[in-house]
Amino acid sequence: MKNRIHPALIVITVLTFLFLLGPLVVIIGSALSDTSYLTFPPQGLTLHWFTNIFEVSAFTRTMGTSFMLAIGGTTVSMLIGIPAAYALARYRVELPAFLGNVFVLPILIPEIVLGFSLMKSLASGFGLPIIVALLIGHALIVLPYTVRVVGASLNSFDFSIEEAAVSLGCTRIKAFFVVVLPNIRAGIIAGFILAFITSLNDVSISIFLTGPGVSTLPIQLLAHMEQFFDPTIASASVLLMGVTVAVMAVVERTLGLTFLTK
Amino acid sequence: MSNQLRAWLIATPATLLVTIFLVLPVLATFATTFGDPEGPFATYSAFFNSRFRTTVLWRTMEVALVTTMISVAIGFVTAWVVARTPSRLKSLLIIAAVFPLLTGVVVRSFAWLVILGKNGVLNSFLLSIGVISEPLSMLYTQGSVIVAMVYLFVPLMILTLVGVLEGIPQDLTDAAASLGAPPAAAFRQVVLPMAVPGLIVGSVLVFTGSFTSYATPQLLGGERQMMMGTFLYQRAMVTFDWVGASTIAAVMVVVTLATVLTMSRVARKLNPMAG
Amino acid sequence: MTQSLTLENISAHYGSTQVLEDLSLHIAEGELVSLLGSSGCGKTTTLRLVAGFLEPTAGTIHLGDRDLTRLPAHARDIGLVFQTYALFPHLTVRDNVGFGLKQRKISSAERKKRVDTMIERVGLNDLADRHPANLSGGQRQRVALARALVIDPPLLMFDEPLSNLDAKLRVDMRVEIRRLQQANGTTALYVTHDQEEAFSISDRVAIMKGGRIMQLDTPEVLYSQPSSAFVANFVGFDNMVEMEVVSDTGDMVQAQMSGGSLIDLPKSRFKVPSKKFLFAARPEGLSVTTEESSIGIPTTLGMRTYIGRAYQYHCETEAGTLLANGPQATPRPLGQVAKLVPQPDQCCLLPIES
Repeated sequence: MKNRIHPALIVITVLTFLFLLGPLVVIIGSALSDTSYLTFPPQGLTLHWFTNIFEVSAFTRTMGTSFMLAIGGTTVSMLIGIPAAYALARYRVELPAFLGNVFVLPILIPEIVLGFSLMKSLASGFGLPIIVALLIGHALIVLPYTVRVVGASLNSFDFSIEEAAVSLGCTRIKAFFVVVLPNIRAGIIAGFILAFITSLNDVSISIFLTGPGVSTLPIQLLAHMEQFFDPTIASASVLLMGVTVAVMAVVERTLGLTFLTK
Repeated sequence: MSNQLRAWLIATPATLLVTIFLVLPVLATFATTFGDPEGPFATYSAFFNSRFRTTVLWRTMEVALVTTMISVAIGFVTAWVVARTPSRLKSLLIIAAVFPLLTGVVVRSFAWLVILGKNGVLNSFLLSIGVISEPLSMLYTQGSVIVAMVYLFVPLMILTLVGVLEGIPQDLTDAAASLGAPPAAAFRQVVLPMAVPGLIVGSVLVFTGSFTSYATPQLLGGERQMMMGTFLYQRAMVTFDWVGASTIAAVMVVVTLATVLTMSRVARKLNPMAG
Repeated sequence: MTQSLTLENISAHYGSTQVLEDLSLHIAEGELVSLLGSSGCGKTTTLRLVAGFLEPTAGTIHLGDRDLTRLPAHARDIGLVFQTYALFPHLTVRDNVGFGLKQRKISSAERKKRVDTMIERVGLNDLADRHPANLSGGQRQRVALARALVIDPPLLMFDEPLSNLDAKLRVDMRVEIRRLQQANGTTALYVTHDQEEAFSISDRVAIMKGGRIMQLDTPEVLYSQPSSAFVANFVGFDNMVEMEVVSDTGDMVQAQMSGGSLIDLPKSRFKVPSKKFLFAARPEGLSVTTEESSIGIPTTLGMRTYIGRAYQYHCETEAGTLLANGPQATPRPLGQVAKLVPQPDQCCLLPIES
């Protein structure tokens, strides 16, 4: 009822949101332009540049790689991250306090340093195939998201429920699958999504681990941008924004977006 | 099986992943910087004696610092308004802040390429209204990098601070008012001190993020505005000077960790909940 | 300098729902009045209106002869104790208590003197430099109290101040609150949902429901002479039976229960409000007897529970199940046929509400 905000602050806020959304509008507009160069507002409308993405094999190939990496890397980090988060939440007393920080290291260490080090040790040093090194790199950088987000829902999980299941005759492993997992579903979905989108958009790790024949979409876009300046990039960007929209829709339906401010 | 053993077994795969593929490779990178025949710190003295390299370091710090300050200013005001907006409009605003955050760095930096380019949106607009007669070259300047960086990090700042500000109970501002504090005084004496730890967390995220960024300085700064990230890449993948690149990497890690550790200590000290 | 509080014809809305309806209330200087009711009755809304956190859609609020109605919260000069205590977590006990004085631009020497005196009065000398996070619930409550008192406000308000404390501490603190309020002679408005708490410390209590005051009186009057079925139920008249007067024989009124049985009520003890009325009784107001000759409500005894000072029986009657207490010395068996005899001082007769 009494909650007035100074008008100057409201003006600043409106400008901030124009600043945040304007550039995205520019991309969408220039992706639709019927010109061979990037321009905004669009002159003539065409979907030609969208079909063009699928005609350039470098784009379709890297798009495939990016999605496979994002799914693969996220799955790997989920498979080892969920147990880690469980251990941290369930055995707070038994595990040393620093262990929680270990899983956050991939965020703490600059990604570009990690990318460089992985390239040096794995690809160059041990001669691992580049795609394997990429997968490991992506699993690593998304690990903090899976551990933290799943951990957040485990922290609000009442472990006496698990004990109840065990007291009713469940084995511990079965209790984990039947009782714990279904109750932290929201956290798992959120963790998966955040990890997926992080991996899909990654540049700093991938830039070092791409080589002949293996590249990801953001890296391909980066390379393309430095040589050509046509609306294909804009339309590819719009496609990536489409993925973001889809992801946000899933988050909204499973958790509500306010989840992201916590 | 003891609980301790069980706990360790469950946590082992993730611990191994981080140890083998992060800790060891990064340590290996550090190790190469100390192997110079002229002494263990020769690479570092070379780094800090080179005009060019220190310029890159200071430039990166400057860009990161300015980006952080602008992001704090814009982000705090916006978060304050968002936090006090009625709930339906608030979720819309949060969506509007999250959307850019989830859109990739390449896409977001690319947008500024289109806007700030010689034939870009801004130049065409300024030409058409007659403010300028010749297109300005705005790209590949420190300014263009900072604008794009702020664009990159403001959403993060907004979301962090909205969470912090919403966590300050209404009762506290009510209590301040009931004790005679006008809104401005209540803000200064109650809201601001309570938001400080959140401001520090947000600032650390923005500072380290912009300090270590690669794609944005690459696209909007180019060769002319080399920053630590692009410098590292150039040394490693263009000139194949891996020792030089490792030195840059080590400097980046030291700056990042020092920032995180100092600021989290400061934040803990200023934390209102602590005794 | 304490002042009286006057609310006149106050209405308030949250969006389109009305939460207060034409509410008027006068609290005399130095008086402590409680607003008592279950959640949603409008008691906290009333307090927040007086504090200035909400604005009424109609009506006026006066403190002494000062019109508060449109005054911003920070200019009202009211000491407020919050349910959550609302202590500033970043400030020490001393700075929390001194916050209001600082806003009043009191010199730091004077401030220190008054803060120290107040901290001593609430017994927190040793904790003055701690932060609220390091205090127990009861200690926080004392800081909140000191913070509201030190500004020497003409009006003190309490918003469910004890609901976060355990039972023992609650009793101690309410005595403390009453002691400090009376020592200063400060006018006070006290909001609670706990009847015992309200009755024990208030000069007068307003029982609220649906945004209106149902009855405002001293605890003694509320306890023995509720004016409506709602208030009667609220203060513990658990049994309600509809009755109708069938004959009036000078000093006796004969009434018929909804089931058909007749009961005699001596006029000297009962004041019949209308032809149709509600008979309300506390469990201790119905005594169980098996004497044939006595006049009472016929019943079959059901379940017996032990409530410490007595046995309580769930009694089946033609007007439904009634609760009645019986002495500990003579436990009665299940299924016994008996009569429930009204004890006038624990019963009352009420008009039937539409």
